[in-house]
Amino acid sequence: MLLRSLQRGLRIGAIAFAILTYLILIGVPTRLGALAMPVLALLTALIFWVALRGGKSKQAIANRAPAPLFLTGTTAGLVAGVLTASLIAGFAQLLMAGVNVQPVFDKMVPMNVAALYGVMPGALAAGELPPWGWLWQAALLTLAGVAGALLVLIERALRQRTWSSGGALRWLTMLLPFILLAFVVWLGSPGVTLGGNNRSTLRLLMAMAAIGSGLFALRAARPGREQRLLALLLLAGLIYLPFTLDQFQNSVMGIVFIFVMMGLGLNIVVGFAGLLDLGYVAFFAIGAYVYAFLAAPFASPALSSLLTSLGIPVDGPLVSFWAAIPITMLAAGLGGVLLGIPVLRLRGDYLAIVTLGFGEIIRLFMLNLSDLTNGPRGMLNVAPPYLFGYSFGNPREIFILALLGAGVIAFAAYRLDGSRLGRAWIAMREDEDVAQATGINLARTKLLAFAIGALFAGLAGQLYAARQMNIFPDNFSLFVSIDTLSLVIVGGMGSIPGVVLGALALKGLPEVLRGIDEYRIVTFAALLVIMMIVRPEGILPSTRRRRELHEAGGPASEPAAALEPALPSDYRTLDGGKP
Amino acid sequence: MRGLGLLGLALLVWRIVTVGLAENYPLSFWISQALNGLVLGGVYALVALGYTLIYGILLMINFAHGEVMMIGAFTGFFALQFFTGLGWMEGPTTLVVLALILIAAAGMLGSIVTGVTLERVAYRPLRGAPRLVPLISAIGASLFLQYSVLLIFGVTPRTYTKPPLLEGGFRVGDVFVPYTGVIIFVTSLLLMLALYLIVQRTKLGKAMRAVAEDKGTAALMGIDVDRVIVFTFILSAALAGAAGVMLGFHNTVVKFNSGFVPGLKAFTAAVLGGIGNIPGAMVGALLLGLIEALGPSALGIPTEYKDIIAFSVLVIVLIFRPSGLLGEVVSEKKA
Repeated sequence: MLLRSLQRGLRIGAIAFAILTYLILIGVPTRLGALAMPVLALLTALIFWVALRGGKSKQAIANRAPAPLFLTGTTAGLVAGVLTASLIAGFAQLLMAGVNVQPVFDKMVPMNVAALYGVMPGALAAGELPPWGWLWQAALLTLAGVAGALLVLIERALRQRTWSSGGALRWLTMLLPFILLAFVVWLGSPGVTLGGNNRSTLRLLMAMAAIGSGLFALRAARPGREQRLLALLLLAGLIYLPFTLDQFQNSVMGIVFIFVMMGLGLNIVVGFAGLLDLGYVAFFAIGAYVYAFLAAPFASPALSSLLTSLGIPVDGPLVSFWAAIPITMLAAGLGGVLLGIPVLRLRGDYLAIVTLGFGEIIRLFMLNLSDLTNGPRGMLNVAPPYLFGYSFGNPREIFILALLGAGVIAFAAYRLDGSRLGRAWIAMREDEDVAQATGINLARTKLLAFAIGALFAGLAGQLYAARQMNIFPDNFSLFVSIDTLSLVIVGGMGSIPGVVLGALALKGLPEVLRGIDEYRIVTFAALLVIMMIVRPEGILPSTRRRRELHEAGGPASEPAAALEPALPSDYRTLDGGKP
Repeated sequence: MRGLGLLGLALLVWRIVTVGLAENYPLSFWISQALNGLVLGGVYALVALGYTLIYGILLMINFAHGEVMMIGAFTGFFALQFFTGLGWMEGPTTLVVLALILIAAAGMLGSIVTGVTLERVAYRPLRGAPRLVPLISAIGASLFLQYSVLLIFGVTPRTYTKPPLLEGGFRVGDVFVPYTGVIIFVTSLLLMLALYLIVQRTKLGKAMRAVAEDKGTAALMGIDVDRVIVFTFILSAALAGAAGVMLGFHNTVVKFNSGFVPGLKAFTAAVLGGIGNIPGAMVGALLLGLIEALGPSALGIPTEYKDIIAFSVLVIVLIFRPSGLLGEVVSEKKA
């Protein structure tokens, strides 16, 4: 028992050391400043907590006796502390000796190491480090080990008590969005000086939290009259939002909701029909470029010379924003069908790679067909929408349009989900062969999924072009596809509120947390992996999906065991891979 | 579908005859381009083998395999810098050869560590989950590795400097053959041979084949499936690491995203040959290398479209022959 606790502690400590090394190498201490070491220790305590509690189930946590737990925790802390402190000391020695480690480790500037001692970089250069620095760092991390063990015990104590909230929690959940909205409005009123310069960011964060909590509130409400009433109130709040937010906040919200539109479209293809499309950006690009051709024909050399030879003036938009909507949507939908036809026979991974190839091909064409698309110089001066002669291109109006578009698409998706076509998609997702045997026309159903998904992406692309006014091929890189897919997955595949939540989390939060911009992709990539391990169904899953993934019961921390019996038969499992 | 394919083929031939051949390039041009293609194909083959091995056993696309290769290239670069610092690269031939072998070994080691960690952290917990789940995890891992390398080592590309011994080449008639090309091609052939022998002749190789055939039955026969999977990741990562170092010497620059496009192309090669099929990956990669090297001149299109050719080949193969050129391995259901 003793030996096993020590062994476990050693392993956990080594893992924590690896994570800490990574965080130091990517320059996190520089950002944290003098607080670097305490914050890292806090983080380590959380890592230890997760590692020490082991399985998620109540049983596993109840079985941890205090003594071995503390032994494991202290060992882990000691191992992580000694190793990390030594690593830091090594770097400090190198830097003090005047060695420039930056050619290898880009982020290992003196500032980074100095922050870990809680001193200014000047002190490092002068060779004046606190004498007890090593001991201080090691001790802090050892303490983190003890704290991790303590957290497990606290959690256990809390879990043993049964809580009865008497429905208060439900009411709170339902009231929360309105409280947050009131807070947003109050923050916007003149004379409030909360948070100094960060007031605007705080307000944006609160507005996003209000929308997010609204989604949870809808879920908490009892179906029927209560839910309908709540939905109506929430809708009123949402419509009020653009009018109370300022230019910056509206512009962020605009891009978030453009991505909601994208996410809802991709959700149809991936979530409903189960076709993993990694080239979804292609339709977004088609929508944006077709609108740019219509609204700024003068930016395209080939198009302007063609129109001039036909005697059509090219100094302004050919059609208005509103008249362009059906054209861009049709063009994108056609793109969807054209992509769909060749890949009809492909499934799963192959489909993913081929669609990824298509997305890249479209981008490369936009980049290299300079005559048509003006190449990397982009399509400039795309006209914003006009309504009754007024420009509708301000962030506020774009946000309203995006809300409107997202609303229409969400309604369409909601109706499709329950329709005959929606059920055909689900059947096809679960098992193509059985679906075909029950009389579903696979080719037609698949093409419709691609086409409808593409229509919505085209609409989003048009709005995006109108918002940006200048578009370049680089706006349509693979990362748009990956961002959109990530937000669908994080929110919960097949779930409409999930998409909204995912867009807020993945597109909105980075805008608020400008400081971590550099770490955005790494954070979300890690999140994607962790999400797949811990909660593959997403934050706000659709009921069906949650049942699929967790029907068999059992601890969620062992997905392999929990998933096996509930697998849709189309997904090949390891054992079922070969007939 | 078949008629459409034949029509496309006819158009292709017409284009080659009217445009590519009309340019009247000398024969030596075609030969040197083809040699270039073979060299690149050899490197792709090593990476493609990794995709095929892992797909054969886990039935998943290791989307992060290109990044495993890229990290091998980085480790190899640091080893190269180390030996340059020691002065080995300018030293006598034996020292240079020893250094090159050690650099390749360092690259392989870097890739192996990455590959094994990847399997342990991102794939093993998901074994048996629906198929989309590990693929998404792999996409996440791929992005994570790319951008971690960007954060840790910075944006500046690392430049591989060839040792003076490897500069230059020799002439066969009108055709110039660089030394690096010969070394890369021969090394990749040797590594492929080694892999073939490991898979066919050793006990672990036998276990790998058994696990690929049927995991459950293999486990009943006393095979430690987890160990075999880790061994597969080690093998494929080692090949990728060697490929990364060779690609470093071939392209001279390594960046955080240099693994992505070669990874995609190697995957294309694996599919072209029939995924899960070891000789298929080799043939497919060499073929893809040739197509990429000869295609732009033969079709008379700018070289910027080189990547489009590779992707188009992938799409066309998957549409008309989803099982690849050599593969009956992949059944309709799995594809």
